[in-house]
Formats: sequence, C-alpha cells, structure tokens
Amino acid sequence: MAARVLQHCVRTLRLSSGHLALRAAVVPAAPLHRALSFYSADRRTRCVNRIPSLDVLCRQYGHLPPLTLESIEERVLYVLKLYDKINPEKLQATSHFMKDLGLDSLDQVEIIMAMEDEFGFEIPDGEAEKLMSPDDIVQYIADKKDIYE
Amino acid sequence: MGVSRLPSAALTFKQFLQRQKVLGIYRNMMKTIRQVPDQTDRKYLSEWARDEFKRNKNATDQDAIRMMITQANKHLEEMKTTLALAKS
Repeated sequence: MAARVLQHCVRTLRLSSGHLALRAAVVPAAPLHRALSFYSADRRTRCVNRIPSLDVLCRQYGHLPPLTLESIEERVLYVLKLYDKINPEKLQATSHFMKDLGLDSLDQVEIIMAMEDEFGFEIPDGEAEKLMSPDDIVQYIADKKDIYE
Repeated sequence: MGVSRLPSAALTFKQFLQRQKVLGIYRNMMKTIRQVPDQTDRKYLSEWARDEFKRNKNATDQDAIRMMITQANKHLEEMKTTLALAKS
C-alpha cells in the first residue's frame, strides 16, 4: 500500500518536475548526504511521513511501471528459465517443480530465494514451501502486492 | 487403532518438523553464502552445502538427523563469524 501511495506521489510530482529538478539542483550537497544516511534506516515509512515536505528535500525514486499479473508472470518465468536445472522447453506456468520438472526440495528453496531477489521482498518459510508451481508464485506475489485483475 | 487414511509414505509429524528445520537451515546457509565476496568461493561453498545436504537425504534415523542439524548449525555459525570477521 505504501508503495502505491509513493508511486502516486512520484507521478504527481513528475508533472511539475521541471520546477522540482531546478530546486533539487539548487540544494547544496551536504544536506543531501545527510539525507541519504537518514533515509537508509527505514526508507519506506520515513518517506511516507516526509511527503508533505517533499519540496524541501527532493529524493527521486526510480519509477517502476505498476505490476500487473502478466508482468509478474513474465518475470517469474524469466527467472525460472535462467535457473540452470530447469529445462526451458519443459517449463510451463502450471508445471509442478517436483513432479513435472524433476527438481528437489533444495532446488525449490533456491527458486523461492531467487524470487525474493527478483521482487525484493521476503517470503516466509511457511508459505514458501507451498509454492510449487510458477502459477502459485505469481498468485502469491499478486496477493502480497495487492494486484487483482 | 483406526486405519489411517494417510498414505504410508506420509511423514509423521516429527519427521515433518525436522524436514522443515533442515530446509530452513539450507535457506539460511544459502543466504549466508551469498554474502561471500569472491565468486569462485561462493560457487564452491554453495555446491559444498548442496552436496552435503544431498549426501544425507536418505537418512531416516531421527537421532542421526538431529546430530546432523546440530552440525549444520555449527557450520552456519562458523561461516557467519568468519564472514563478519572478513568484513570488519
């Protein structure tokens, strides 16, 4: 949710970005450095709190296109294709990692870790072990990121 | 005793918990290994961990498995301290 809010903010800011960029350029280097270390502690919550004063210190975040079910699926399949123990030809959205692709439980753990890397959030152990096919993973990520049709 | 509806290959509750534990350790190990700076070392270590887990995949004796879990935890701790030392 916080990500949504942030995204919205960035988008609205974009509209007046010329003005902002100018301002950001005017801000001297020293406060920026301080801001960097300040933010790194807990980026998301701090940022949301700081939105009202965004015009004072502007930190520009990467603007990612919003996730959709298709883009998630594409990324999941892409990561899986790069995994060396999976035969890309046999890979399908519904294939079961162990039954269809012949992987073992250790491989499954590694796949989930790769997904965590790709999408940048942690999947707890209890739920990780239930994700047994690309479809499961897509569904899980969509649930976590509040994405529905 | 009632007839169990579970297939005979199903794990008992204890075995299930142990399995969880083992997979959890594997996950932690891989996470730790990923922080190793050198690429060759990283590859070597992850292969080592994997082989070590695979070598014992047919173990069924609960006590033996418990010993192995302890051993794995020791290795994990050692790896973590070494990494922390290398970083400092």
